[in-house]
Amino acid sequence: MAPVLTVQPIRVATSRHGDEGRLVLADGLLVAVLVLLSDQYGPEAGRWFLETGYGPVDGVTHPTFADVSEAQEWIAGRLATRR
Amino acid sequence: MPNPLIAKLEHGARLTDEDRQLLKKLTARRRHVGPYQDIIREGDMPEDVRLIMDGFACRYQILPDGKRHIMAYLVPGDICDFHVAILGEMDHNIGTLTSCSVVEISHETIHDITTKHRNLNRAFWWGTLVDEGILREWLVSLGRRSAAQRVAHLFCELLIRLQTVGLADQNSFDMPLTQEELADTLGLSTLHVNRMMQELREKGLITTASKRLTINDVERLQDIAQFNPNFLHLGPRENKANEDSRDVQPPAA
Repeated sequence: MAPVLTVQPIRVATSRHGDEGRLVLADGLLVAVLVLLSDQYGPEAGRWFLETGYGPVDGVTHPTFADVSEAQEWIAGRLATRR
Repeated sequence: MPNPLIAKLEHGARLTDEDRQLLKKLTARRRHVGPYQDIIREGDMPEDVRLIMDGFACRYQILPDGKRHIMAYLVPGDICDFHVAILGEMDHNIGTLTSCSVVEISHETIHDITTKHRNLNRAFWWGTLVDEGILREWLVSLGRRSAAQRVAHLFCELLIRLQTVGLADQNSFDMPLTQEELADTLGLSTLHVNRMMQELREKGLITTASKRLTINDVERLQDIAQFNPNFLHLGPRENKANEDSRDVQPPAA
């Protein structure tokens, strides 16, 4: 059965004052930290960045997503292929 | 602008006027190569040695999943493997990042240098050892330095390498590398590079304006990067036994 993804808001110390972020959990296990990109990132501003991943989501790929649900879909895909 | 090959090799051996003349002749015929063109491809069996006289090139590999990693930058005066003709085939690509001026040295000329010109042979060997030194330092960066240190270390390195060939002043140089290229070099995402550059700018350590990078406080940036320039081997070795010393009598046994 596919793991249940849940999302929790969190502030992340990726800039001096912190950025808006999300912890993504799969069946209660932390698998990813997402960060909302601020204006300093130019055309990427407003997108969600895969700051870090754990387990099947770990790797050197750090994509950005239009919104959190798109990120969740991508994470679900990784979890499905790496099980 | 000085001849970058001569400027560089002056650090590798005590060149004579004859050596300099030969290097000048060697680098007279230059070929223009546009940006993002391969100079040598993986699998090639190059006979001739390529040398960058202007512009930036890199050694890179494309992984089966399409990811690129850059293993070296070639700046003016740098050689794409002096003894390349020994190898069965190339195990990576060398491509330009900007427009480049490239020189091709025939393997006959390389043979001539290695057998008849001891000074130059030594200087080219020094160049090869410096390339290895840089590679080792990059390995340390990838394995043990933080993202900020990796970026800072690379900028400190480029400043000195470009100063050596007359392409940087005390604290600034033209830096054509994109954040994507830096990311593929430093094992970071483009966004991480963006963030690190922002951090260095906010701290007043660097300024970037129209592709020129200024290091506002070289000493501080070197401190942050834990930068020790010894891997560039720019200090001459004052050891007569290691120089071309045909006219020096060996010590009595």
